[in-house]
Amino acid sequence: MGATQADADRVIAIGYEAWIDEQLTRPASLALPHLQSIQPPPQNIQELHRDRVDVWFRNAVNGGDQLRQRVAFALSEIMVVSQAGALGNLPYAVASYQDLLVTQGLGNFRDLSEAITLHPAMGVYLSMLGNQKPNQQGTIRPDENYARELMQLFTIGLVELNLDGTPRIDSTGQPIPTYSQPIIEGFAHVYTGWTYANAPNGNFLQARPTPLSQVMPMQLYPNYHDTGPKLVLGGVTIPANQAGAQDLDAALDSIFAHPNVGPFIARRLIQRLVTSNPSSEYVSRVAQRFNDNGRGVRGDLAAVVKAILLDAEARGPSTASTGKIKEPLLRLTQLWRAYNGRAPDGGFRAFANPSGSLGQGPLQANSVFNFFSPDFAPSGEIRDAGLVAPELEIATEYQNTQVTNTFRTYTFGRNSRTAGLPADAIVINIEAEIAVAADTNALVNLVADKLLAGQVSATLRAEMTNLVGRYATTDGPNRAAQAIYSVVTSPEYVLQP
Amino acid sequence: MAVIARSRRDFLALAGTSATGFLLARPHDAIGQMVGGSAPFSDYRALVCLFLFGGNDSFNMLVPRSTAEYNAYAASRQNLAVAQADLLPIDSLNPDGALYGVHPSMPGLHALFAQESAAFVANVGPLIAPTTKAQYQGGSVPLPPQLFSHNDQQNQWHSLRGRTLSDTGWAGRMADLIRLNVAGQQLATNVSLAGNSLFQSGDETVAYTMGAAGPLAFQGFAGLGGEQRRAFERIINASYDSIYARGFAEVQRRAVEAADRVTAAIAQAPPLTTQFPTSSLGQQFQTVARLISVRDRLAMQRQVFLVSAGGFDSHDDQLVNQPALLASVSACLAAFYAATVELGVASSVTTFTQSDFGRTLTSNGDGTDHAWGGVQLVIGQSVRGRRIFGRYPSLALNGPDDVGGGRLIPGVSADQYAATLARWFGIPDADLAHVAPHLGNFAERDLGLMI
Repeated sequence: MGATQADADRVIAIGYEAWIDEQLTRPASLALPHLQSIQPPPQNIQELHRDRVDVWFRNAVNGGDQLRQRVAFALSEIMVVSQAGALGNLPYAVASYQDLLVTQGLGNFRDLSEAITLHPAMGVYLSMLGNQKPNQQGTIRPDENYARELMQLFTIGLVELNLDGTPRIDSTGQPIPTYSQPIIEGFAHVYTGWTYANAPNGNFLQARPTPLSQVMPMQLYPNYHDTGPKLVLGGVTIPANQAGAQDLDAALDSIFAHPNVGPFIARRLIQRLVTSNPSSEYVSRVAQRFNDNGRGVRGDLAAVVKAILLDAEARGPSTASTGKIKEPLLRLTQLWRAYNGRAPDGGFRAFANPSGSLGQGPLQANSVFNFFSPDFAPSGEIRDAGLVAPELEIATEYQNTQVTNTFRTYTFGRNSRTAGLPADAIVINIEAEIAVAADTNALVNLVADKLLAGQVSATLRAEMTNLVGRYATTDGPNRAAQAIYSVVTSPEYVLQP
Repeated sequence: MAVIARSRRDFLALAGTSATGFLLARPHDAIGQMVGGSAPFSDYRALVCLFLFGGNDSFNMLVPRSTAEYNAYAASRQNLAVAQADLLPIDSLNPDGALYGVHPSMPGLHALFAQESAAFVANVGPLIAPTTKAQYQGGSVPLPPQLFSHNDQQNQWHSLRGRTLSDTGWAGRMADLIRLNVAGQQLATNVSLAGNSLFQSGDETVAYTMGAAGPLAFQGFAGLGGEQRRAFERIINASYDSIYARGFAEVQRRAVEAADRVTAAIAQAPPLTTQFPTSSLGQQFQTVARLISVRDRLAMQRQVFLVSAGGFDSHDDQLVNQPALLASVSACLAAFYAATVELGVASSVTTFTQSDFGRTLTSNGDGTDHAWGGVQLVIGQSVRGRRIFGRYPSLALNGPDDVGGGRLIPGVSADQYAATLARWFGIPDADLAHVAPHLGNFAERDLGLMI
């Protein structure tokens, strides 16, 4: 969620691959236990969402499992659920879903797809929870929401793909749809009969969210599950009269077996982690690893992430289109990681409304389509070149101004020398900068080392020198804050090269 | 000309990027045949697009009231039907004698309709060519790709691109066409209060995005005798090797450039007596009204505003959620219309809705799923109000308009709808095909809904 000096030292000491292997062994930093430890729960349920955001930042900024946290954040932007909407009153469910991504995000994709399918947060968000078989008159039919979005957004996409992620083309030059409306309806029938576990009297219709049922996998209530045959992917028709869990297994197997999953997930994860515009060869190499981790296993996400991060294209020299925009939330976690940002109690509860300050927040997208689209291309040279820059979709004039102002607050207005702050204010520690602040050059170098891996452009260096030099040499706090502010609002900090 | 309204091509040339040559080599068929050359317009007009994200279940917004039609509606909609007695009856000027009612949570809209300031367009949606059920089933007519998918159908409404690879929106293309005519504007023709949108994306022009309450100023820029701002500008104006850094810096440049001017202008807006709902949508409409009130200060002649509301994807709990959503839409539209009357611009401002799609007439238990055609609203004194345009479809399941589950084939295309509004906006007939590329496939080039 942003590299610290300690991270960099460790990578240099043991090498990239060993660092990744080491990260894979790190225990997961979780959110739900923190929420459950707050007893008695607050009267106002929204307070628990604040606690959820608090613990998200605690783990993102301080967790030893940085790779898990980073991949979980990436997955939270692909397999989206959000506090905004139907989950607004279910903070335990959202925290538990976050933990699912942290604990299983580097596991097997088939397991992950089943776990998200049966998680009540997803059940509520995409309305599989409570979905019933058709009524006897045939006037009520199953809900198609999850049926559609699991395939469109989380696993295979709309059109058939080659291994390298490019669309397959039919004999008339048109892309080939991956599924039809009858297949959507088949899956919709599969996803019937599931709701919160432990319904009173075993009654499907009486199932309710409790702190416990919000975090347990949904339960099948067989009387509400459709027993007819169901058309799914790959030409498979699930036979009639199977148990609901069997239907689900067969349906998810048909998705997992689809050749699109590898290239689809490869491109999305590469975009989230490394670059907006991977070459088709890069996608192909990662998709290959999805299809077979080298030991004959399909869907090994740890192997996929390793392939993404160790690929020559990820590690090679920068070009004009390698890398990506670093989204606002990651710009802030990077600042806080580099400068030990936190409130005196170690927490982040004061940062109550990340969406208002940054235009995004953890598990707070406006819809299942995430904060931005993987295919967003701003008008101008990026679009004209046929490239995309997803994160720029939220970099509007308004949001950029908002984010720039947020960074002013969290540098000049919230540092270890700021007087008169509320007790829970999140401050960055700028003491090391103040210690060298009278020496402008040393200050600029120190900040550039911490935030830009030492790679500061001539223009930025000149302007930092100019601005820092306008404060008295004795004004260490403002000199330090100015240097940090100028970096974190600069295009070169916003770029993940 | 202000930088913000300058064309992107000029902007790139100014910034000295290497993409310029490529851009100039690109064919822009309609550019060059500008609206009446480059003369300014003689009046002010604004279109306000209210996008209802998620797919509004609009066959519950405008409901047949005649017995046979209502019974077909009720049979299709089952537990989601609005009770016949609850509908707010409307008395349209349509000569066919069919009776309709408005959802009971929309009294404001009901009143606008009665005073001839609002019209409905029935069963409109993305189409490439007129499509019958037989043609749909036989695959004999090209269809927009990925029907029933949210983002693809939003994209269709925004871009009208059908099966082409166009990556601009129809409001963006309108702004491109008139860019020389409105060269004196201090703000881009397209203003969004709802984030980035393909709808307003042009080849030659860029939309300006502000928040629900208007633009923000950069804090602390006056510091160090103004050097804080100047240094910031030099940093964002530096040359960057990365396309992403350049793309980001370009937005920052527009933000810095416009923030002061727009903030200063909007600060001069006269107080409005019209009260707006305190919701985000109410605030967006209020900001649009305030911007319109300072249009002369910013030398604006043509504006397209985008406002939005979400939550319409009513797969679940529709009976609880939809009334509140429609009530909000109705109250906000009524307040905004009242503000345009107060400002004396009610005939210069036309508000219209778009939404991903209509929803299935059939119920999934407590909600509905993604469908196709739906009903849209057009409001203003230049609208031939108290009328329903387009053919209200049969709501019978497996009827002539239903392709399954109560997904209705649109009778009017989004292209026809857009072209009608574009023509009112001042786009000449010869250029309408640039705005609405499939207009030529339809006999009716203008739905006749504007005065």
